[in-house]
Amino acid sequence: MIRCIKLAGFITTLLVVFLPTFTLAQEFKFGISPAEVHIDDLPPGETSEFELTIHNKEELAHNFTLTTFQPPEEERREGRDGFPDNSWISFSSLEIEVAANSEATVIVTVTIPREPKWAGKEWETWLGVTAESSDLLAVRLYTRLSVSTTPAVGASPDTGLIVGIVVGIVLFGCGSYYYYRRRT
Amino acid sequence: MKAVITSIIVAVILASISSLPVLAQESGAITITMTGVNDISISLDKTQWPLGDVAADTEYMTSPPIEWCTLTVEGNCNVNTFIVGEDAECIDNPSAYKWTLSADGTNGDNVYGLQFRISGDTTRGPLGDGYVPITKTQNEFWPYSGGSGSSLAPGDTKQFGLKLLTPTYFVGSRQMQTQITISAATA
Repeated sequence: MIRCIKLAGFITTLLVVFLPTFTLAQEFKFGISPAEVHIDDLPPGETSEFELTIHNKEELAHNFTLTTFQPPEEERREGRDGFPDNSWISFSSLEIEVAANSEATVIVTVTIPREPKWAGKEWETWLGVTAESSDLLAVRLYTRLSVSTTPAVGASPDTGLIVGIVVGIVLFGCGSYYYYRRRT
Repeated sequence: MKAVITSIIVAVILASISSLPVLAQESGAITITMTGVNDISISLDKTQWPLGDVAADTEYMTSPPIEWCTLTVEGNCNVNTFIVGEDAECIDNPSAYKWTLSADGTNGDNVYGLQFRISGDTTRGPLGDGYVPITKTQNEFWPYSGGSGSSLAPGDTKQFGLKLLTPTYFVGSRQMQTQITISAATA
């Protein structure tokens, strides 16, 4: 039975159409800048922004999509770790239409969570811009984004303050206790 | 009384010490460096491969086989390039039927293979014939590990061709579509 089904499938293969596009092949040009961005001394808990520009060098308007990509270790700059969480990076728009022979700007925002474990780190991730197309071949361009956070600061701000206050209260309580015991 | 004053002073000092790193951190400057006015750009002189009807378990090559498409570096910075493929989907109903892209260029039932060959590359790939499988994981296009080539400079070109190996079995009379993405990052 399975053989019969496979035979039937094989016969029908002659009717199958793969990539039935008969339009003329077209060259499509676009560019992005900057090609590389370094954000240095970003403290955990802080946010940084920069502009990414897409240049449409064609006579027609095109849609572009923006994504993040974790490059493999061998493609990253030396000493850089992979970005821990690409959700820390956001775009003002994930999809943008750029008019013919024009450029458009997307704001990229990087936010590092306020946690001591993210201090003193050096990361790299890539921001990809792809021209939407239904053609077989598509082009994606990457901007390398390197982020360095400020060195370790021990505990997080709130934790430090709370620990200080608690220790102060305890010491004040002990001092008061001994003072009143000595007086009585 | 002396103990109380001492306790208060110690508490204030401790609280200040704990807060100092915070104050120092918030007053620091964040530096953003954008590498020059670098514009990264590549172009392909062909983006379509009209194949028409295909038979099962058959190899199709672009024509000419390895000088079919030309990649040109258009920007003003050196680039490394990469390639990634995806499953082929039925145009009329993408979620209903697909051909899975194999991880090694081979084929199977409803599994198809894609390979590329760069002009001048005669020994690259698993068979040493210059053809390299295109997979769903982004891999090096040019330059590549173990090769003697270097990053592409502005104005440089690379010619390449594609090879398709259709599944050993697939459901007929359906129009299938896939996409191969060639990407570039500054070297």
